[in-house]
Amino acid sequence: MSDAGLRARDLVIGYETPLTQPLNFEVGPGEILVVVGESGCGKSTLLSTLAGVTLPLRGEIYSGDRCLNDVPIHKRNIGLVFQDPLLFPHLSVIDNIGYSLRASGQSRDEARARSQELLDWVGLGNIVNQKTWELSGGQAGRVALARAIAAKPAVLLLDEPYSALDSPTRMRLLADVKNLVGLEKIPTIHVTHDHGEAQLLATRTLTW
Amino acid sequence: MYPLIRLTATAWTADTVNALLASTLWQVVLLASVQAMLSVGLSLLIGIPIARVLFTYQFLGRGFILALVTIPFVLPTVVVALGFRSLFSDSIPNGLLLVVIAHAYINIAVVVRLVGAQWSTLDRRMEVTAATLGAGPMRIFSTITLPALRNSIVLASAVVFIFSFSSLGIVVVLGDGSGTRTLEQVLLRSTSVLLDFPTALAAAILQLIVVGLVFVISARVSRHEPRTKIILERARVRGPQAAFVVTATCLVAVTLVLAPIASIFWASISSSGGLTTGWWSGLSDFDNARIGSPLEALGRSVGLALFTSVIAAILGGAIAIAVMSRKAIVATLALIPLGVSAVTLGLGILLAFSRGSLDLRGTGALIPITHALIAVPIVVAMATPSLRTVDPRRYFVALSLGAGPLRAWWTAFGTVFSGVMLAAGGLAAAVSLGEFGAATLLSRTDSPTVPVQIARLLSKPGESAFATAAVLSVILVVMTMSLLLVVDRIASRRVFT
Repeated sequence: MSDAGLRARDLVIGYETPLTQPLNFEVGPGEILVVVGESGCGKSTLLSTLAGVTLPLRGEIYSGDRCLNDVPIHKRNIGLVFQDPLLFPHLSVIDNIGYSLRASGQSRDEARARSQELLDWVGLGNIVNQKTWELSGGQAGRVALARAIAAKPAVLLLDEPYSALDSPTRMRLLADVKNLVGLEKIPTIHVTHDHGEAQLLATRTLTW
Repeated sequence: MYPLIRLTATAWTADTVNALLASTLWQVVLLASVQAMLSVGLSLLIGIPIARVLFTYQFLGRGFILALVTIPFVLPTVVVALGFRSLFSDSIPNGLLLVVIAHAYINIAVVVRLVGAQWSTLDRRMEVTAATLGAGPMRIFSTITLPALRNSIVLASAVVFIFSFSSLGIVVVLGDGSGTRTLEQVLLRSTSVLLDFPTALAAAILQLIVVGLVFVISARVSRHEPRTKIILERARVRGPQAAFVVTATCLVAVTLVLAPIASIFWASISSSGGLTTGWWSGLSDFDNARIGSPLEALGRSVGLALFTSVIAAILGGAIAIAVMSRKAIVATLALIPLGVSAVTLGLGILLAFSRGSLDLRGTGALIPITHALIAVPIVVAMATPSLRTVDPRRYFVALSLGAGPLRAWWTAFGTVFSGVMLAAGGLAAAVSLGEFGAATLLSRTDSPTVPVQIARLLSKPGESAFATAAVLSVILVVMTMSLLLVVDRIASRRVFT
């Protein structure tokens, strides 16, 4: 269970020119910070920067007391879910979920046990060995979420996930997200352009 | 198809079956398989990092480097062999190592093009996702990138295996005569030296079986899952680490490609006494009864290339039009020779045109026919996709405006068709210029082509023979490259626009 939040201090994001003013925010265990803004305003770049894919132009990112600026992506302990589920097509559903656990050195059996627990939780306990491309959009979204939180990340970043799905499915999945991060006490940052989605999820909102 | 049917029909005799069961042929299969597997391994080891840099990064000079790494694939094999013999004359003796290195050199382009094409469509967010899940660079490469590239790696491995397994020019010049033998070599020697046709036929049949098996195995090993059809922008080179990787890989690629070519050029202008232009100026005076005149060989090869390009363009063009009309069986039949080695094809031609009124052995027509047969599938493979890019409704628009069927067809397809025929004809000429296997089998002693003459020169002792072979190789390199440059220009300006 995660007990340290994520903090940005005077963070300036962008590629060559800044996309925002310096940002200062914090998100604690179990909180969901929703960043709302129009397309192209830098929401995805913010998540890219927090994840370590893109370097910040200025400022610092902290996980608890640990500055993440020079920490490579794979050592940041971050869960990231993109707009598409991006499941690994050559792995089964259960091996997708257990990927982070195997990467951290857990045995296959340990990884499978935790993955099964998460699959049951998201209501997909019966599709353990199914091919990922045989899943519906909603099922794939649930698997992507389970995979992102399997190793209990220090922070969960959601980049407009499920936006390609129909509205009822998306709302059901977002409710799952809310329950799961609350249960696991994972600090979460969710970016969206949809104010309704923000209302449903947010503990706090940051509007650009 | 007639030569291949004739070959297969002739093969079913007791002598051929006995030869097929003899342990000597199977020993060659084993040796050639080991050699081909090592060649595949080295080609992948060199080609995959180059493919990664060329197909996932965008940088100045990328197109040039990509064109450069393609060069070895189109160079005549005996020229490549001469380049390596010249480059490693003192350090690496003829044998398995040199053969494997030369095969890897030729096939880098196969790996880079096939694997790179798939790499460029690989969604890099997959790798980012794996990194956020705690996987380091090596783990990401082995658990995400490699499996995603699996099909192209399998296909490239199959193609390189077949090319190396059925190699002739390289093993003739760089082999040690025993440990590096291939079925092609057995086929050639059995036909032209030992006059042992049953063994030659058995080798040809075995060759066809192995090629077929490799394709079946590669199809089974390939993963059948829905492909994500996305073309991603190549990443810009950001940061010192990426800049180092890109620069170092490009430098290694350029050095690898150019070293043997530079070595040939150097051999053509140097002698034990220092730099000289004597080998070039003496080309017309070089005379050896058993080798023939180099200038006559050049004239012969150019004439052969012209003939091949015209015949291949006419036949290939007609087949491509038939394929457009959905006569798929025609396309399949025309493409079959692509999977058959040149020597096997040459043997088929020899058997097909050596009887009664069809006896062409004394006419000098066997090599042109074989080269045309080798080139036609290439023309078909090049022309068909280009013609399919034209909207067929243009034809009906032209008809509705009063044009007759022929004029309407030319209005709709003429520009693309004429462009692709010019480009494919040029490619056919380049293939003919460098073709070694069939020419060796079918050449008469007094009328060799340039690649055959280079191989003959290399089998002679002395500085003069080696340097003359180097001069001929440089001329062949320049002619091949010029033709490919023209093909590339035509293809990019007229065909695919």
